[in-house]
Amino acid sequence: MTERRFLRWLRPWVFPALLVGAFEWYARRAAALGSDALAPPSAAAKAFVGAALDGSLWQATGFTLGTAALGLLLGAVLGVALGLVLGLSRRAARLGSLSIEVLRPVPSVALIPLAMLSFGFGVRMELAIVAFATFWPLLVLVQSAVQQIEPRLLEVSRVLGLSARERAFKIVLPAIVPRLFVALRLGVAVALVVAVTVEIAANPNGMGYAMMIAQQSFDPALMLAWLGWIGVVGFAVNAGMVLLQRVVARRMGVLP
Amino acid sequence: MNGHDRGRVGIVMNRLGSLAVLSALIALWWMASNAGWVSRVFLPTPQATFASLLEGLNLSGPNGNGGHGELLAFTQATVGRMVQGWLLASLFGVLLGAAIGVSPAVRAWVQPTLEFIRPLPASALLPLAISIFGLNPGMVLFVVAFGAMWPVLLATVHGFAAVEPRLSEVARCLQMSRAAFVWKMGLPNAMPDILAGMRLALTIALIVAVVGEMIASQSGLGQAILLAARAFRASDLFAGIALLGLIGFASNALLALAEKRLLRWQQP
Amino acid sequence: MSAAADFLRFDGVAIRLGGREILSPTSFDVARGEFVCIVGPSGCGKTTLLRAASGLVTASAGEVRRKGVKMSEPSREVAFVFQDYGRALLPWRTVEGNVSLALEAAGVPAAGRAPRIAEVLGKVGLAKHAQKFPVQLSGGMQQRAQIARCLAQKPELMMMDEPFGALDALTRQSLQDELARLVREDGLTVLFVTHDLEEAIYLGDRVIALQANPGPGRPSLARMIDVKIPRPRDQLTTKEHPEYLRLRRELFAFIEQSHD
Repeated sequence: MTERRFLRWLRPWVFPALLVGAFEWYARRAAALGSDALAPPSAAAKAFVGAALDGSLWQATGFTLGTAALGLLLGAVLGVALGLVLGLSRRAARLGSLSIEVLRPVPSVALIPLAMLSFGFGVRMELAIVAFATFWPLLVLVQSAVQQIEPRLLEVSRVLGLSARERAFKIVLPAIVPRLFVALRLGVAVALVVAVTVEIAANPNGMGYAMMIAQQSFDPALMLAWLGWIGVVGFAVNAGMVLLQRVVARRMGVLP
Repeated sequence: MNGHDRGRVGIVMNRLGSLAVLSALIALWWMASNAGWVSRVFLPTPQATFASLLEGLNLSGPNGNGGHGELLAFTQATVGRMVQGWLLASLFGVLLGAAIGVSPAVRAWVQPTLEFIRPLPASALLPLAISIFGLNPGMVLFVVAFGAMWPVLLATVHGFAAVEPRLSEVARCLQMSRAAFVWKMGLPNAMPDILAGMRLALTIALIVAVVGEMIASQSGLGQAILLAARAFRASDLFAGIALLGLIGFASNALLALAEKRLLRWQQP
Repeated sequence: MSAAADFLRFDGVAIRLGGREILSPTSFDVARGEFVCIVGPSGCGKTTLLRAASGLVTASAGEVRRKGVKMSEPSREVAFVFQDYGRALLPWRTVEGNVSLALEAAGVPAAGRAPRIAEVLGKVGLAKHAQKFPVQLSGGMQQRAQIARCLAQKPELMMMDEPFGALDALTRQSLQDELARLVREDGLTVLFVTHDLEEAIYLGDRVIALQANPGPGRPSLARMIDVKIPRPRDQLTTKEHPEYLRLRRELFAFIEQSHD
């Protein structure tokens, strides 16, 4: 029966292999006809190895991941803090609702020129936009998580006479941890997407920029290599977060 | 005052309080910019922003130089790109998603690939599209539509895949045809997911439209605010950002309204 | 074999699931118009037997024959009432819309549907709730809506899988009587699975008791008892009828002893 298991393991790769194969054939034909817009995946793989060996791959990847992480840290700290406050105090939530409704719909990319103006190019500008983009989903999700804490637990904290600090650390925070990690998983996804987008649009650093430069230098193989690598990194980071989120959920008694 | 009236007063008080907080924030903005706490290069005054807005929308006085007075045209361009791309994305997303979602066999082979594409930023396709199509409006529209299609497609696949097994059995007991099953059970069942996917797609469509305008130099709000920043015209920049925020807000609100009407059957 | 008895025949029907034999080869006949109740502990295969009879599941051995023809696929003439009624109704259609589904599937033209829907809703007492969505109905009403949809199929045979199991005692009693009336009015043949022995005796013309963990010398089909209590029956007097009490004792003793 291990033959069956092997086939099952193989199955997810069949469709993409077919697509890559078809693309390889098509790109070779197009190159033979003189077009330099596309490159076959085999050439992209070579370009990828080249970038890995000369260090440019790691440098750019490190920049993107690092900046995204810092931006997420900032956005998450602020979002969780405000989310806790708005979740615990219905009054605060009501008072802040209009302001949130007005500010939240601004697309983060609209702030790229403003960040450029204020910070120039580099880490700070990208970090600020990632922070803005991740602040909102974390605020909303943490607020909702706090509002949905089992009211019985809060009553227990009152009956036991816990101080506000004790209540926060012993009841509120542990209660929201599973949903907090769901929010963080979303935050990580948003952070990565926004970071790459900022690099494509403006910031001359990181994976997005490397891909743009490759296209502008008419190096389609390298451009495709970056596109594929961005996909792989995004997939791996997200998959890692899903795993982490599941581990946490199990530890906190949410999943069996 | 009976309970009903008290409730009404409560709602009004909530709205007023909320408005008060927002006004306080605007007042803070007013002070910070007018008093120079933050340089007016980065933070224009509210009145300057408002003036730029009015001027840009041709609601006050004659036009000034180049970029003024065209905000309405820019807004139309961006919104047009966003909506066209979104409609295309929704149509193809639902069709493809239904085709994949209805058949467990197809899903088994294709789903892993879809999961790989899910985290990919839509804007990452812009360089490839530029390479193939060049710098023109059609290229931007293509990436908007292609990028926005995936949330709809993934949501549709999920919606069709997750049909309550009991309902599938009911369909078998009634000897419903495949087409009838898809139309009467699969599609309504997938509706909540599809609408959620379409909401996400709208957000992505706006983002890709703006980024596309920025890097492909296409006329629209994206390019307008980029040029305003480069020329240090902070009030025009803020006016543009405000308009983009408004577009985001309005499109989301309209879609939420439509969702509510279409999903009336969920309210007990 | 008379034609009436040939209405539904189970011929050596055995079912294996996950390598285990859930149901050993079982044979019995159901006559037209009969109300047969199937009882037994969990795991005895009673639900699986019902699903095999309706064509939702294929038997591992043996055949189910309806009027001489093997049942391998579901048919509109065999209605199936599920236990989890909430999941068997379309949440996005009203009660009327749900009943209409059966008529649409049968190809009834739009003009002819309304009178039949009204008729069937009247029969189950949901005429006033036709425009409500399932989420607005109580459990009992939802089950009635499902029964209404099944009746709209104009079935010859009705399979019912613990239809009243998820309802409270009072609702269950009133639905039992409503069902008995409907079956009598329309002359339906019913196969009714339940874990409630008293319900089985109250409703059935015959009670079939299955036992779990079949093996050599221990067939799934353990007892078949005819219920010779006159109809119409009612909750008060029937349950004090000596025959009812005798059958009750017999079945309880049997279930106890087969529970080793």
